Parts: sequence; structure tokens; C-alpha cells
Amino acid sequence: MGNVPGKLENENAVRFNRSLSTSSALPSSRTISGGPNGSRKTRTSSMVGNILTAGRRSESSESLSGANPYKRKSTKEKERLKERHVKDLTVKYQETVDGGFLAPYGSSSLEKVDYDASVVKSLIVERRLAPFYAPLQDFDESWSREELIKIVDGLPLHAPFNEDLEAFDGVPIGDLSQSDFEYLIDKSLSRREQRRQRSKIFNARLYQKRILWQERENEKFLETKLEAKRAVDGQRFSSLPSGDLKFDLYRTGAECPICFLYYPQPLNVSRCCLQLICSECFVQIKRAEPHFPHDQDDSSTPADDSERDPNLLTSEPTNCPYCATPDFGITYQPVVTRRVGLQGSVPLTYKHVTDSEDPEQKEATRRGSLAASDRQVVTSDSLRPDWQIKLNKERMRLARRSANATAIHVSHQLVAPSHQESSSLRSHTTSRSPPHPEPINRAEVNTGRWPSTATAAEIENEMIEQAIKLSLAESNPTK
Amino acid sequence: MASLPKRIIKETERLVSDPVPGITAIPHEENLRYFQVTVEGPEQSPYENGVFNLELFLPDDYPMEAPKVRFLTKIYHPNIDRLGRICLDVLKNNWSPALQIRTVLLSVQALLASPNPNDPLANDVAEEWLQNEDNAIAKAREWTNMYASKQ
Repeated sequence: MGNVPGKLENENAVRFNRSLSTSSALPSSRTISGGPNGSRKTRTSSMVGNILTAGRRSESSESLSGANPYKRKSTKEKERLKERHVKDLTVKYQETVDGGFLAPYGSSSLEKVDYDASVVKSLIVERRLAPFYAPLQDFDESWSREELIKIVDGLPLHAPFNEDLEAFDGVPIGDLSQSDFEYLIDKSLSRREQRRQRSKIFNARLYQKRILWQERENEKFLETKLEAKRAVDGQRFSSLPSGDLKFDLYRTGAECPICFLYYPQPLNVSRCCLQLICSECFVQIKRAEPHFPHDQDDSSTPADDSERDPNLLTSEPTNCPYCATPDFGITYQPVVTRRVGLQGSVPLTYKHVTDSEDPEQKEATRRGSLAASDRQVVTSDSLRPDWQIKLNKERMRLARRSANATAIHVSHQLVAPSHQESSSLRSHTTSRSPPHPEPINRAEVNTGRWPSTATAAEIENEMIEQAIKLSLAESNPTK
Repeated sequence: MASLPKRIIKETERLVSDPVPGITAIPHEENLRYFQVTVEGPEQSPYENGVFNLELFLPDDYPMEAPKVRFLTKIYHPNIDRLGRICLDVLKNNWSPALQIRTVLLSVQALLASPNPNDPLANDVAEEWLQNEDNAIAKAREWTNMYASKQ
């Protein structure tokens, strides 16, 4: 959802980060972020303010300032939003919460992390969702403090990317610092092919940019760590974790039962059955894409989708992976004495606090199961607040296709039995009231327009014309 | 292909170090996401004494997406079709990332012990099963002997 970085700087909220903004307002990020809309200059301080206020905003995002979520976005607009999202997925060491980060560590496929980044970031800053930590592949209890700290120091911000993905093999990417890549598109192709090529090139470029952005952050992180080692005055490196912090985090970690990786405790806990789940796995659990109910669509009816009532399309809420309770949600109980980073104390000065945390932690894990609506609970749906819009859009797309198919069907038959079908379908859609795709309305008008005396040939012409219009309307990209 | 996720490595190790009785799953040398599987027919089922070959593939999105499992050995079963495809809820909409290769294969084995002709994939087999169960079971035995006998 479009919340542009800007105005909403929250001075109080960034008190920690303030002191850092000198070291973190990176001149280098500008070259690339001057992408399609060169005017965007994201400075870390405003970014953070943005993160903190984003949660509130995106809760009301559906009613956001006249922005109709059903309005078709231009290709450029969609590309811009996608690029923004990818930028939000870059892990930055200065954006740290309790020793973890605001963006995931290991996910390289964008489909897996298509959540609303501003929602996730603000949940982490509010300590309602565990931050993303760099996991360990294994943990050995015999490691000494020094060994463990050394291992943790060696962790990157993000798992290495696969530099050449098969999917982008041979796709030209041109000059990444230039926002315009029109010239890479083969103009001799049909418009549809050009569109397809454009999206391929865009994705390949975006992937490379993502690697670049992350590398830049990695380098900065590394350089800062090296500098910090040499420097006497640690002030500038205050967002780096102290030795105590690294040790405390990783000494008592746990294995996520889904990815089998070792993470600092506390992990998130399922609201229903109190099982652990790391944030990286949690954000990947989402509703299935809109589909027809399973009992209906088993292979016995390979029916053409366009012949089915679009209102039957569903998308069930996620189930708990452990106990299958619907409306999956988690809670997170941060360690009170380890509140460092954004809206907390300075990570570099963190000192181990003895004992006091333990009874509290035990108390926390002893809670019973909570309702999905409980205030502490973060549900899967809340990370992708646009799921309803997506579902409605898919219904509309299908309704369009179905109207299209009906028109063609009728033009073949020239009699009206299929009318009833289509008009009942239409009344369904109307009652559901997402804004109507135009073609359906037009079809409705037209059905009433045929005079009873119209000849078969007239009707046929009308229908063919209609079918052509609809198919044109449909071939416009809906993705 | 990207490096193998820890989860797949650990699952594979555990399958070897702590195998499930009656089930083997061995990863292919060239593609560690592809497993050659054998499942023994459960006792007191028409598939008793049979050893069935299956293939199992872990898609890129595993464990967020279910593994793909298919019978390679011919089998007479209402929920398994001629191509070896299996109608099993945990392989489809009831998949959960907390399940594993191990649990999926156990579910497949359990499906052999309790065929469900009311939710068929192989319609002809299911019909036979419902109309003349004795005949169907005899046929399942026959096929087991013919195609799945231990050498």
C-alpha cells in the first residue's frame, strides 16, 4: 500500500536512531534510489519514523485518502511499488531491534516475502513480533564464549544470493543506475510480447538491484565492525551489538521446528498451541491464492474456470502449522532486560543482567492459548492486509472472463438459455459490490437493448462485436 | 540451484540415522531434492508383502509447499490413479510446513492400510471397491504380487 516516505517523522520514536543518523545517512544509496522516481531520497531517520507510524497507517490503508485499491495501476506504478518493497527487504545493521533486524535473513524469492513490509517492521519495533535474526546452522553447547562471539561476528546481514538464477538467464539488464530500460525491449514484438519482455527485464534488474543494495549494506556493516575494533571511542558504532549481547542472544537459542535453523530466544509462539516459530517462517505462512473450494474442483470436474460463479472463489485463513487451528497467529514476549536498538537502549553498551529475566520468561511461556482477536496476537492476515482486495480482484477478473465466455457462447448459439446463467451471476457480483469492471456493465446494458424483432444476424453481429470488446478489455494486463 | 536448506539436509540425515520401519527414502546423487522411496505394504492389507517404489520431490518452496509424491509401482487402489498420483489431503490443502518427509510417507503407508473409495481418484477402482469389495481386494492382492513382490 502506498505510503511514501516523508512527512511523518516521529521525533520521539527515533530517539535512539537520531544519534546514528550521521553515520547512516548514506550518500551511496542515492544513486540507486534515484530510480524511476528520482525525487525519492530516503534518509534513515525519516525511514524509521516511517516504520513506526506505518502500522497505524496501513491499518486504515483500505480507506486511505481516496486511493481506490481496485483502481488499475499503471505498469510504472506497479514497478515502483515493487521496487519499494524490495528496498524495504534490505537488511540494515542500523535498523536493529533487540539484536535482530527488520527484514528477513534468508528469503531470496520475493513470492515468499510478499508481506506488507511496513506492517512487519512496525510490529517488530513494537516488540510484538520477534525481529529477524541471522540464524546459526548448528549450535554446539561446548562452544566457549569467545568461540560463540566469533561465530556470531561472522554472520552476514543476509544469506548470500544466488547470483545467476536460471529464471533470469540471458535476460538483458542494461545499466542498473539508469531507471529507463525501454531500449532493451524489442520493439518488433507484438504488444503483448513486449509487455512480457518488459516484466522479465524488470524482474531481472530488480533482482540484481536487490543483491547490490544488500551488498552495500553488508559492506557497511563489515567496515563498521572493522573500524569499531580499531577505534577507542565506540560512540559511532553504537548500533553494533556488544559482546554480552551476542553471547546472551545466541547462548540460549532454539531450533525453529519448521526451518530447523537455530535462532536466539525468545522465538514467536503460536497463539493456539504455544509452539515455537521463527519470524522468517511466520511471514511466509499465508493464505492460499484465491481458488475454488476443494470438494468441488477435484479432478472429476476439470471445468473451465470461466464457467463458474466467481463468488465461489475463496481463500481460507491460514491454519496453525502445528495444530491446524484456523486463523494462525503468534505472540512474542521480548526479554525486558534486553530491550536494545530502535526504541531501546544502545546495543553497544548492553551488559548481561543476571537472573532477573528467567522467572518472567517462564511466566510468559506458561500462558494459555489466546484468541486470534487478542491484542497481543499477530495473525498471518495482519501481515498481508490486502488479501481481501486480492480476492475481490480475482473474482472480478473471473467475472470478466466469464462474461466474455458467455458472450462468445451466446454468439454461437444465438438463443438465450445461457442468459439466465449469466444474469444470475451478475446479480451475485453486484450484491458483493466491489466496483464493477466495466465490461460487465456494458454487457448488461446490451442484453436489454436487443429489440425482440432483431434478426438473428443482427444479434450475431452485436454479440461478436461484444466479444471482441470484452476480449480486448481482458487482454489488458490484470497482473 | 541454490544451496540446500538446512531443513532438507537435517531431514535427510535423520531419515538415514533413524529410519522409519518399512520405509526407505534415498536422495538422488545429482539432485538432493529428489528421493527414491520404497514403502512396504502394511500388514493385513491387500498390499501386504509388497514393496512399492515411489518418487518424492521437494519443490523450491518446501516446506511451505508440500512435497510431490508419486507411485512408480503399479497399484490397485481407489485413491491412487494409473499415473501413480495420490489423493491424500496432507499432500494438498492439508499440508503444513510442520510435517516432514517422514510423516508424509507414513501417511502414504496409512492410506494403503485404509483405502477410501468414497473420495476416489481412480474412479473405476473405487466403483469396484464399493460394489464388490471382496473382488477389489483380491485384485489389489493380485496386482501386489504381480508388480510389487519382493525379489
